[in-house]
Amino acid sequence: MDAVLSGLATGFGVALDPFNLFLVLAGCFAGTLIGALPGLGPINGVAILLPIAYGLGFGPESALILLAGIYYGAEYGGRISSILLNVPGDAGAVMTTLDGNPMARAGEAGRALSLSAVASFVGGTFAVVLMTMFAPMLASFAVTFSPADYVALMVFAFASLASLVGRSTVKTLLGATLGLMLATIGIDANTGVARYTFGIPDILAGIDFLIVVVGLFGMAELLTLVEHQVAGRLKSLPVDKSFVRMADLAKCRWTIVRASVIGFFIGILPGTGASVASAVAYGTEKRISDGGKTFGTGDVRGLAAPEAANNAAAGGAMVPMLTLGIPGSGTTAILLGALLMFNIQPGPMMFTQRPEVAWGLIASMYIGNVALLVINLPLVGLFARMLTIPQHYLTPLIAILAFIGIYTIVGNPFDLLLITGLGVFGWFLRKLDFSLAPVILGFVLGSLFENNLRRALSISGGDWGILVEDYKSLTLYALAVLVVLAPVWLARRARRMDGEAAADRG
Amino acid sequence: MVDRLFAGVLLVATLAYAVIAFTAIKAPFQYDPLGPESWPRILSLVAIACLLWIFWRPDASAMGVARRTWFRLGATVAMLIAYSELYEPLGFVLSTLLFGTALCAMLGGGIVRALAFGTAAGVAGYLLCAVLLDLNLPAGELIERAMQSSDEKGAS
Repeated sequence: MDAVLSGLATGFGVALDPFNLFLVLAGCFAGTLIGALPGLGPINGVAILLPIAYGLGFGPESALILLAGIYYGAEYGGRISSILLNVPGDAGAVMTTLDGNPMARAGEAGRALSLSAVASFVGGTFAVVLMTMFAPMLASFAVTFSPADYVALMVFAFASLASLVGRSTVKTLLGATLGLMLATIGIDANTGVARYTFGIPDILAGIDFLIVVVGLFGMAELLTLVEHQVAGRLKSLPVDKSFVRMADLAKCRWTIVRASVIGFFIGILPGTGASVASAVAYGTEKRISDGGKTFGTGDVRGLAAPEAANNAAAGGAMVPMLTLGIPGSGTTAILLGALLMFNIQPGPMMFTQRPEVAWGLIASMYIGNVALLVINLPLVGLFARMLTIPQHYLTPLIAILAFIGIYTIVGNPFDLLLITGLGVFGWFLRKLDFSLAPVILGFVLGSLFENNLRRALSISGGDWGILVEDYKSLTLYALAVLVVLAPVWLARRARRMDGEAAADRG
Repeated sequence: MVDRLFAGVLLVATLAYAVIAFTAIKAPFQYDPLGPESWPRILSLVAIACLLWIFWRPDASAMGVARRTWFRLGATVAMLIAYSELYEPLGFVLSTLLFGTALCAMLGGGIVRALAFGTAAGVAGYLLCAVLLDLNLPAGELIERAMQSSDEKGAS
């Protein structure tokens, strides 16, 4: 506990530095703006702004604080387009539309927005508090992990990714493998052998992480916007003067607590992020408290549950990223890549080696949560304005921002062609129901996975048995099998129960 | 159908990847049991297994994209390629002006407003990013040459 308190003190020392404080606020503000843009989810927002934040030349903790602010803000802003337009910015916000949009249509947009802001705040803060307590514990346990355990951990991460993300398990697995394959391009760090570079000097050092992120997310998003382009502006519901009432909060009290707990723990699972968390929270809440069948017609609890879970998961996803170096979601995979660019290896050692970065980030999340609530309640009308930006200005702007960001890294125009190509590839992947988060997760974890495997086999002198020697690895493999089989088993059981119910009726 | 087509293209690429992994990559000397070629070999086998599965049971049958949309997407990609090719020769301001105007006009912004948007994006973007934030953006070879000649004139 002492370590936690002194760590927090260090962290707040970093985060309350006037410049960093300004960055938290700026990041939250910019993030909310981006998140509020119709169709542009947090992951795309962070992807587009990441190279620019990198190019500004701040220190690692400042840049990371800025990025975390953007990430957090975008998760907050996503609800605005869900509620007012019925267009979710990303998969995590889909559940928010179910009860949020009916409330806005009933003329209670202000109430829906302020209630969801409070729910998000509670969920987010809850997650940060839990994270403060758990992260150092997990980190001190993770220090004992051997390379073989890391391999097992990676297998578990990809297994939970494959079973919980996306519609098709095989496609998710293929996506992750494609990411891993992309990561093998470049010079092998152990032997100095060039792999898959075909003599092109621009990719000798590997494809830059930023290029993959901006290409697969930013540019693919741009092509999707062009594809779905609708002339003129989207019809946004007006924000009125109604505001969240104490009665609403009293009614949602336990909903928010339950959803926060669910969100945080689902967020911790590697590979699963806000989308799974908000879906599970909504489902649970519906089962528990939908007595009057009001869910889906503008029930406040149906709005509060996914929003609290969403933001709790955003915090939970940071836990494996900071303590194990394994991101819990696509967006944290991007943050992980950002850390690597600053030569900081996230993982158990980060809390002891770079406490100012780890704790600074955590402290900035406390501040960011409060800042978001304060920014969001009065300024929601301004953010809602963003929704009416016509697509024909928004789309070119994304491309211009992406190009600025990529060009400023090393000033190589070849990279611009590369992001265009990756954007086309990413668009095809999305079109065919592949989700892109596994690809980026595979890309980020590629070298970590390979190096640990090679190191483990070096230790054992080539004996593959080392991978299943330790109880920690075996537990993780068992969990991996469980996480793959459980959904299959649950689905089968649900079907059988349906069948029995039908038989009873018949 | 589309799934199979896409999987087919990916399969060709993966097979090429596998062939390189199994034949070409070799470390001149190494002490570790796993060399640089083992990991790509494992990956290529996993990827091929996944791709064969998709061949076996494809689930997306059509892209659901109208012909006009294809045309619009193709034009967007062409503009992006042109934008990247012109980025350094024309410089940020001019290339952004052209690209912003063209894409905005194509997406239905109207030519006048598109031109206004392109100009604003080019000039404001340059002022904000290159001057205020001190990011590295190309001034453009043409402009640099013009600047140089005027410098020389000023010096002489």
